[in-house]
Amino acid sequence: MKQGYTIEELLACVISRHIEDGENVASGANALVPQAAGLLAHFHHGPNMRFYMGQTWTNVFNVPMVQIGSLTDYRAYRGNAEYCRRHEEGFDRAFYGRKKGIFSTFFIGAIQVDRYGNLNMFGVGDDYRHLKFRGPGIIGLAHVLNFMHNIYVYATNHTKRLFVEKLDYVSAIGYGDGPNFRKKWCLPGPGPKMCFSPMAIMDFDEKTKRMRLKSVHPGFTVEQIMENTGFELIIPENVPTTEPPTDEELRILRTRVDPAGLLRSSG
Amino acid sequence: MLKQEVLKRKSLVIDEKEAVSHIEEGMTIAVGGFLLSSHPMALVRQLIKRGAKNLTLIPANSSSLEADILIGAGCVRRIITSYCGAERYAPICPLFRVFAEQGKLEVYEVDESHYYSALKAAALELPFFPDRAGVGTDFPKVNPNFKLFKDPLKGEPLLAIPPIAPDVALLYAAYSDPYGNIQPLGTGFGDRMIWLAAKKVFVQVEKIIKNEEVKKFPERTAYFEVDGIVRAPYGSHPFAGPGYYIEDGEHIREYLAAAEVFAKEGDRSKYDAYLKKYIYDIKTHTDYLERVGLRQLLALHEDIGIENM
Repeated sequence: MKQGYTIEELLACVISRHIEDGENVASGANALVPQAAGLLAHFHHGPNMRFYMGQTWTNVFNVPMVQIGSLTDYRAYRGNAEYCRRHEEGFDRAFYGRKKGIFSTFFIGAIQVDRYGNLNMFGVGDDYRHLKFRGPGIIGLAHVLNFMHNIYVYATNHTKRLFVEKLDYVSAIGYGDGPNFRKKWCLPGPGPKMCFSPMAIMDFDEKTKRMRLKSVHPGFTVEQIMENTGFELIIPENVPTTEPPTDEELRILRTRVDPAGLLRSSG
Repeated sequence: MLKQEVLKRKSLVIDEKEAVSHIEEGMTIAVGGFLLSSHPMALVRQLIKRGAKNLTLIPANSSSLEADILIGAGCVRRIITSYCGAERYAPICPLFRVFAEQGKLEVYEVDESHYYSALKAAALELPFFPDRAGVGTDFPKVNPNFKLFKDPLKGEPLLAIPPIAPDVALLYAAYSDPYGNIQPLGTGFGDRMIWLAAKKVFVQVEKIIKNEEVKKFPERTAYFEVDGIVRAPYGSHPFAGPGYYIEDGEHIREYLAAAEVFAKEGDRSKYDAYLKKYIYDIKTHTDYLERVGLRQLLALHEDIGIENM
């Protein structure tokens, strides 16, 4: 822990700054950092946020501590849940259709991402029936990416294997092949907003919808990021360094969100 | 002398073997729950014991090792799934992955939205259900059952999702009364949709409660009119049973250690040993619980704090 915090803690803090009060935040399975980011945002600056835990919606602003962990660990939401979602109803417009709708903010991962934020979760290999590497499946992301307003791609590593020139399979649409794709296919929502990796923060250029470098985390360089990205990122003139965690963010993170230290145990 | 039969409401309580006897080779079977919670494992283990083969499996909509063990035990020819992973224990279920890669398991690829569209189409006896999820993607390419079409009213591109009706559904809940009024604790996940579409439904419960208890809070009844109820305390083990016990991390790691050797090296000796220990050598669910051990089970209660995570 060179700088007094782990990369996971840095990411949780950085991501939490992008979540506004009033949003309703959810994250996918096996995504501790986004869960932590959501809870941190909630405790730090989001008294009106709702947090999605274990298929329930809750507001835990006044709860002293909610330990991040399993999505289905009902100890976290027992006594906190305000609404129990029937799983099948979470696909309806009310859940997705508004900016700060019931599901306004979501974190997604993938096994491959391309420059337009399209995702692959099916697998790698030319023969779909005999894949070289079988992925876990797209979960609900094909649907989510059609509708949600604040979608953040969360990458657990920054490598050419993840950030690829061409997806083996397109499982879910970010911006397709450019600015007209979503309109052509009548996809209602705006598309993904940003991408966070252990090296950098990226967003999407307004005109071309291509992924663009926004900031580089402390300890990394623009060259390193370009070397580890399988496609050409848009690199602006001036690329700032990602702001490190503040003392307040770390305090809340370590006492109210992750006292078990899951973000401090690499591996 | 008048002989009069006493009319009595029929109890649906049966044993685990009888429930799975309704499952035949080649059937489409749904197994409810979600990720590491609420799987009807007493019934799943009996199904494996029965040696059911060539099943089309519809696991939970976000499935986990309950699907992996059915695959590893050789029961599943085809899986209809949006996701098969075990969260922080394993991002992708090992035997799901390896069997699919080797072409031994056919994957009917779906998004979570398609899963419910398919069940809804079956429940409503419609030829398809329209879905926007997957429009513009490679879904129709990897799953040719889905057809891209233009809607007849506005001409918008949509996918036609064919109906899927499970022959038998195996579900888990906290409570039922003897007459099949099922009351889960918590959200009940997607089990209601499975129930709507399935031809036969068997539910495994922690506890059989009195009908009077059901009538006190009828809004908790998630579904009813099932074909059989099986009483199986700790029945979701090693997965969580909301309101009763959390997932058994140690046991899950024991399973994964055996499964990963099978997946990575092709050596199934450890995996077969696991199956023998927890399924083939045990007769009933109670035997299974005895094998797991009381100390282990009692350590899974919800108020023990974060150390067990």
